[in-house]
Amino acid sequence: MPLTKRIIPCLDVKGGVVVKGVRFKGLTDVGDPPTLAVRYQEQGADEIVFLDVNASVAGAETLRAAVQKTAEQLFIPLTVGGGVRTFEDVRRMLRVGADKVSINTAAVAKPSLITECANAFGSQCVVVAIDAKRSDDGWKVHTHSGTQPAQRDVVEWAREVCELGAGEILLTSMDCDGVKEGYDLDLTRRVVREVGVPVIASGGCGSLDHIVKVLSDGEADAALAASIFHFDEHTVRDVKKELVAKGIPVRWCG
Amino acid sequence: MKITVVDYGVGNLHSISKGLERAGASVQVSSSPREIAEARCIVFPGVGAFGAAMEVLRPGIDELRSAISGGVPTLGICLGMQVLFERSEESHGDGLAVLGGSAVRLNAPRVPHMGWNNVSDSDDGLFEGINPDDQFYFANSYVCRPTERVTISETEYGERFPAAVRKGAICGTQFHPEKSSAPGLRLLSNFIRISEETA
Repeated sequence: MPLTKRIIPCLDVKGGVVVKGVRFKGLTDVGDPPTLAVRYQEQGADEIVFLDVNASVAGAETLRAAVQKTAEQLFIPLTVGGGVRTFEDVRRMLRVGADKVSINTAAVAKPSLITECANAFGSQCVVVAIDAKRSDDGWKVHTHSGTQPAQRDVVEWAREVCELGAGEILLTSMDCDGVKEGYDLDLTRRVVREVGVPVIASGGCGSLDHIVKVLSDGEADAALAASIFHFDEHTVRDVKKELVAKGIPVRWCG
Repeated sequence: MKITVVDYGVGNLHSISKGLERAGASVQVSSSPREIAEARCIVFPGVGAFGAAMEVLRPGIDELRSAISGGVPTLGICLGMQVLFERSEESHGDGLAVLGGSAVRLNAPRVPHMGWNNVSDSDDGLFEGINPDDQFYFANSYVCRPTERVTISETEYGERFPAAVRKGAICGTQFHPEKSSAPGLRLLSNFIRISEETA
């Protein structure tokens, strides 16, 4: 069997608690990042992503505390992103138990940060997150949680961050995000074919079939999803069962 | 079993420490090469870059070499396995050279090798109780090319390369057992058992 495709639940965290309405049957503390991360781990998640959606300097400390508490119970990789501005931010996040750190706005503002982190910590823990929005001629990079256009072409930027030392790209389609009608397959495939690092597709997942499509037609190495898991619509195990049935290699967890 | 986890000053030491504790060990973290050389059992974690890690170890390199070659149970994980070899294409300078061979850049279409992969079945004690179907989490851009017969399990991604090596009480895994869920924790407890038998 080749390297398996990864299924990655994403938790939006704000002030150390999970937001974006997570509703789990039989789970009262749904706002607690470690509780949810462990729940997904038990379902067979291959990795977990924490995204600090309203990152502030004060919030960083709270987030690190949540990461530390999670890392004590999580025996699968944990990626943390949102509000990571400096080399020191990355170092501290890894120190408290993150395995990878995702950089977005800061990478656009200061591309050398990618190289600096890759040299010190290794490329494998430097994830560059790219928020992409369709334009007349392709896709444009957006920063500051998607609020500011960066006047950069997504495909070119993806190529550049790899040359700078990124070990992975977390690619979010802003057009599809929250719509639940499927990932942007064109965008994903374009970036996958352009770069030599793994690509995590994000934005638009509303059904099991969307995940099947982005990992097959979209050629992504991993699929990130949030709401489909949060409301107990589907477990990670359901996703994997479907992928196995479609002949897509996954880590099977019974 | 008291285990000393080497701190190169970067990266996540939490997971490996918790993994070892869960497997029954008590853990001490140290960045002093001389202190490490006196440990009863050493774990070189898998985070950081080769050159930077060796920079931390260099002041006590002779003591470390003689301790490990002298039989102190040792587990190197990912980068921590690569530093057990003589050198790496990643950075200039020597490794610990307690195993013969070097680390070279992985030849695959997409690097790093990132995610869960199968490993070949092994009858080594390090893999006791681990199912041949179990997968392990890898995150590597370099692979080891031993010049002695130490490979106990292989994996394939672009090319075939060692997933795990062992020479007496010196063990290494290219994957991260501390990030490989139940099979990984089992491997850590196997390592602790091997260490206790050796001590």
